[in-house]
Amino acid sequence: MPLLKLIWYYLWIAPHLLQIGIAGIMFRRKLIGLFPWFFAYTCFEVLEFVLLFIADRFHTGAISYFGLYAVTAVISTILRFGIILEILRQLASNYAVLARVLKPFFRWVAIGLLIAALGLAIYAGGERSNHSWFVMNMLDRTALILQTGLLAGLFLFSRYLTLSWRHQVFGIALGLGVYATVDLITAAISSQAGFSHAELLDYISMATYHSSVLIWMFYLWAPERKPQHDLQELPTHHEVEAWNQELERLLHQR
Amino acid sequence: MSTILIILFALLAVLLIIRLAKGRASGIKSPEDLRSQLCTVDIDAFRNLTDSSEEEFLQSHLSPSSYRKVQRRRLRATLAYVSCVANNAAVLIRMGEEARRSSDASVAEAGIKLVDNALRLRLQTFQVKAKVYLQIIHPGARTLSVELVSQYEQMTRQGLLLGRLQYPARGISGVF
Repeated sequence: MPLLKLIWYYLWIAPHLLQIGIAGIMFRRKLIGLFPWFFAYTCFEVLEFVLLFIADRFHTGAISYFGLYAVTAVISTILRFGIILEILRQLASNYAVLARVLKPFFRWVAIGLLIAALGLAIYAGGERSNHSWFVMNMLDRTALILQTGLLAGLFLFSRYLTLSWRHQVFGIALGLGVYATVDLITAAISSQAGFSHAELLDYISMATYHSSVLIWMFYLWAPERKPQHDLQELPTHHEVEAWNQELERLLHQR
Repeated sequence: MSTILIILFALLAVLLIIRLAKGRASGIKSPEDLRSQLCTVDIDAFRNLTDSSEEEFLQSHLSPSSYRKVQRRRLRATLAYVSCVANNAAVLIRMGEEARRSSDASVAEAGIKLVDNALRLRLQTFQVKAKVYLQIIHPGARTLSVELVSQYEQMTRQGLLLGRLQYPARGISGVF
């Protein structure tokens, strides 16, 4: 078997084996209730791999590989949007004041991104020799623009407000963000290069997915970081209470 | 063209994500680190800049072009003060986060409240900054002024408090 083919199979099989491990970690650490969308996505990715692998190796004939790929890709995309919502919800649950700000902010971000993505899809050029592949690529690209934009918006928002993320939520967002952005770049390039060159770009996409799975595994496996300093160095109760009272007084003055 | 735009957008997003991941690794060693990041707000100057009567005086005594020039300078200075208040609010958020992790339930509870209030202040400074930028573009426009001045007034007091927080040992009850 040539080396390139070997790498191909490694990049196809290894991340999904690792995802079985991720599902196991989530089950053992009772994280399923906390991240139901991410768990569903992890399990579905494994199932998708099994179905596509069987279709690729044994040519069952009942349904075409491309048809199966398209259906599973749609489900994967929906689940990824679910994960983004899950991240948003987790972040908002830590800060009561953000609950009423986050929703409208991300609703408008999503609307803006959707308009931009649809505009880019309408005016898109590129290689159209394989029509169904072109349509699939365009839909994938539109969804990826939305996902990348929402995740980037989330990172920007939390950076501006200096929010602290839960270790695992950050890991999930980081892995998804890296995968979505690199996948968006490869989807954009392949829409120009066409179907015949898509296989080469798949290596980049698959390698990135492998990295994202490792990121998820690391953050779900590693324990939450403890503060690096001595607890005695924390602000005293009196200090915090005094600041708080003054802030509350000021914020209610109008 | 659309492909280049998408690639640029994705590259920006990936850089942002990496930057955030790196920034997250540099933890805060102690509350002293945070206090050293607080910046002092010169309240008299800030109040002067946001005083509507001062603005009216300038408008009546200067030619329109000179007024616009002076007003733009004043707005830029205001922006610097608002940014200072925003920075102090961010410091308070992080202080509150530290307190939230305390094993002492009362400190943790006070930390939650502090984070909430500081977040609201940080969001307010964002709104005010946007309005100041709009006024810099069109300094003659006075449509936002009334609302802006009331927000300025509120923030002046907040800035006063936060500026003094560098010296918590001296107490803050006598600030106002």
